Amino acid sequence: MGQPARGTLKGTIKDTETGQAVVGANVTLQGTFLGAATDANGKFSIVRVPVGVYSLTISMIGYERLKMEGVKVANDEVRSLEILIHSVPIQSEPVIITANRREQSFQEVPVSVSTVSAKMIADRNNITLDDALRYVPGVNMMTDQVNIRGSTGYNRGVGSRVLVLLDGLPYITGDTGEINWETIPMFEVERIEVVKGAGSALYGSSALGGVINVITRETPAESEFRFRVFSGLYDKPRYPEWEWTTKPRFNSGIVGSYSGGTASLKYLVSVGRTVDESFRENDTYQRWSLFAKAKYDLSSTQSLTIAGNYLYRTHGNFFWWKSLQEPTRPAESQRDGLVTSDRGNISVAYKEFISDRFFYTLKGIYFGNFWRDDSAGRVNNVSTSHLFSVDLQATYDANTSNTLTFGIAGNYDRVDANLFGTHPGVGAAIYAQDEVAVTGEIKLTAGLRFDWERVSVLKGTAQLNPKIGLVYMPDKETSIRASVGSGFRYPAIGELYIESSTNVSAVVVLPNPDLKVESSLSYEVGINRSIGSMMVVDVAAFRNEFENLIEPSVQIKRYHPNPSSSYEVEGPVIQFDNVTKARIEGVETDLRVEWWKKWFSTDIGYTYTWPWDVADNQILKFRPRHILYAGGLVSWDRLRASVDFRYLSRIERIDENLVRLAPIVDGDARVAIKIVDVRASYDLIDLGYPLRVGFNINNLLNYSYVELLGNMGPVRTYYLTVEGLF
Amino acid sequence: MMKRTSVLIIAVFFLSCDHGLAPPPSVEPGFGGTLYFEKGTWPSPDSLFDLWVFASQVYPLDSSKVFQGLFSNPPTIYLYPAFDKSLPFFVDSVSYSFNVPIATYKYIGIIQQFATEINIHNFRVVGLYGTNDTPPIPIPVIVNEGTFTPGIDFRVNFRKPPPQPF
Repeated sequence: MGQPARGTLKGTIKDTETGQAVVGANVTLQGTFLGAATDANGKFSIVRVPVGVYSLTISMIGYERLKMEGVKVANDEVRSLEILIHSVPIQSEPVIITANRREQSFQEVPVSVSTVSAKMIADRNNITLDDALRYVPGVNMMTDQVNIRGSTGYNRGVGSRVLVLLDGLPYITGDTGEINWETIPMFEVERIEVVKGAGSALYGSSALGGVINVITRETPAESEFRFRVFSGLYDKPRYPEWEWTTKPRFNSGIVGSYSGGTASLKYLVSVGRTVDESFRENDTYQRWSLFAKAKYDLSSTQSLTIAGNYLYRTHGNFFWWKSLQEPTRPAESQRDGLVTSDRGNISVAYKEFISDRFFYTLKGIYFGNFWRDDSAGRVNNVSTSHLFSVDLQATYDANTSNTLTFGIAGNYDRVDANLFGTHPGVGAAIYAQDEVAVTGEIKLTAGLRFDWERVSVLKGTAQLNPKIGLVYMPDKETSIRASVGSGFRYPAIGELYIESSTNVSAVVVLPNPDLKVESSLSYEVGINRSIGSMMVVDVAAFRNEFENLIEPSVQIKRYHPNPSSSYEVEGPVIQFDNVTKARIEGVETDLRVEWWKKWFSTDIGYTYTWPWDVADNQILKFRPRHILYAGGLVSWDRLRASVDFRYLSRIERIDENLVRLAPIVDGDARVAIKIVDVRASYDLIDLGYPLRVGFNINNLLNYSYVELLGNMGPVRTYYLTVEGLF
Repeated sequence: MMKRTSVLIIAVFFLSCDHGLAPPPSVEPGFGGTLYFEKGTWPSPDSLFDLWVFASQVYPLDSSKVFQGLFSNPPTIYLYPAFDKSLPFFVDSVSYSFNVPIATYKYIGIIQQFATEINIHNFRVVGLYGTNDTPPIPIPVIVNEGTFTPGIDFRVNFRKPPPQPF
């Protein structure tokens, strides 16, 4: 049997207007894993291409995505192409994959999507993912709890209403259903996609408020070593009486990454160490992290990717402050608390193109979490959780105007914790979505997902979630979108079964196995329009309706003071309960402008939400009404300098009973958040060093604020960063 | 357009020139608020000898713990205005400011002495800082150094006293 017939495809990509070579453009052959990036002269070469007729896709940030049909490759032939691509006004990533579980251009997506690129993360010196999300329109963080367009109130991360995916797979802890940001390898992130609005029709539980997909970078073809070293120094708090120590406090870290391999096997290994002394007492953390990823191209149409990470961390247990008089000290009961955690995951993804119109992906992930908190040398709470998820997805391009995506998914988790008990959970789902180009300008999307889940001995529950979307593109500059979708969230095992007299408070927390499933319905209309060659504006109006929202609430109950007691007492307790029904309406705008031949750019995003508690007939607790982000970036030669401002209006309503019963002294103290960050970096490549040096000042004005009750935000911090690539 | 955007950015920047949270002024620790007496419920003068706000670190209370709490060293139960002084009678409302040592006060309320003799059987609780449930459940108040908690209000209806602890 002879060698299969193969040829070579090469060419040059140039800018239509300037005629100059386009560097770093991605060229891929649809239906295969074959592809290349253009070099410094705009040239690319794809060798050993099986004989056939292909669709060629060219994508590059700042350029229109181009698809060339009918590119023929003959045996032993070297096919040469001259390709011209149009530059477009500033855009987000040219390709979005999260909105519809497949690659699409930004304009084709019927829902609001924002992206954070690896470059934005590096420029801002973001250490964890939650830091990177603080400048996404419509998103606000309460320390490490994410809230998209008002979906989430105060839950200290438990039971996230935003689904986080790591390379398309659910990444929510099995016990408390929260997002563990730290285990996501920031140095290896290619981009983050934030899809706003309910997304359970494609992704299942937790996608009530939106979906955040963290996409790790592809293992590069060439061997390279990258590193990043940073050291940050916390300034003193604004008021001398808030100083708890006279010693300088640092936040430093190093991460190194090596990648290499052969033509068919590529791998990447990354190791990191971070030590944050914090500006607050007993808030220090130390962590080690390891990330590895390998991709093996079994053939031009089959690939296997295995990735995993591990994190070990110790963290002081600063839960809330002592008082506003001493906001940098924890409450007395938390002064010697320490949380130790081991967390890790391993994922496997197999992808195969059956033809240039049909491919499928089989993915699986194991996510293990162990943590314990100690206080005064005594172990208080211990939790171990295991979560397995699998997803088999197929995508079929029935013809040029019809794409069908369908699949099945399953999950199994098991929790063993003194706080929650020992409980298993199991779930299964089936989903399908069809995208039809009704005309050249109109694209319709319809999808449906059925989910079933059972937790421990509780009765299994089923959910059916539809979505429908429409995109109308009257011209090349304009995209009008509309969508309706539903979302739901199964209560986390932690919410159902938590039972404790917590180590940080004398308050009794009781389980509630009668919790119902939360649900949401999202409506959105929006328009994205390029104005001239330097401006892009996006405007969206949305309405989200939530039912059975689960929140911790103060209730008066009769309960056994301890499991072995034969008598009951009556008193105030905290319990997770389906407390409210809500309606959140709002408007979101994003305006990006490039000035003076693109060396200066500005981005302003504003979100107005009207979060209404329908059950209480008053404003919903813990939601800001206004969120504004404004940023400017100067990019001149090797210098990049930028400034970011974020404003979140004062939260109008909180749960006074929680503050009173916890108790959090001065827990109702809060103001609007107004933070200015500035930074500059310089590339030393011209001096012969493959290095970039950066300097950041976060919270330039040393503004004092809280994101979460009784937790003061970071003081002014100075960072020096050095990055290298060899 | 450029100028307008620049002005907007600069305006937004200067909006952030306040400094946010600040330390509260130094105060004597304690709590305070207003007592509201429901009209027409005051008892006859011959059953009004003293009226106090009490703050107890101990809960639940029984009769044996009341005087022990009042007269131990340090006390675990405090009275406002003082053991030998009373709140005014036959008023619609009165504000109070109760300075107490740093501690958690699990049971706070209004107590009436309705007979001459100082005896536990001559005391009754007529108001309670608690939940809105029926009957109300006491809500603890934590008093920290340099912290004075306002808003600890009571609504007293002498005809509908809360559950008695003794």
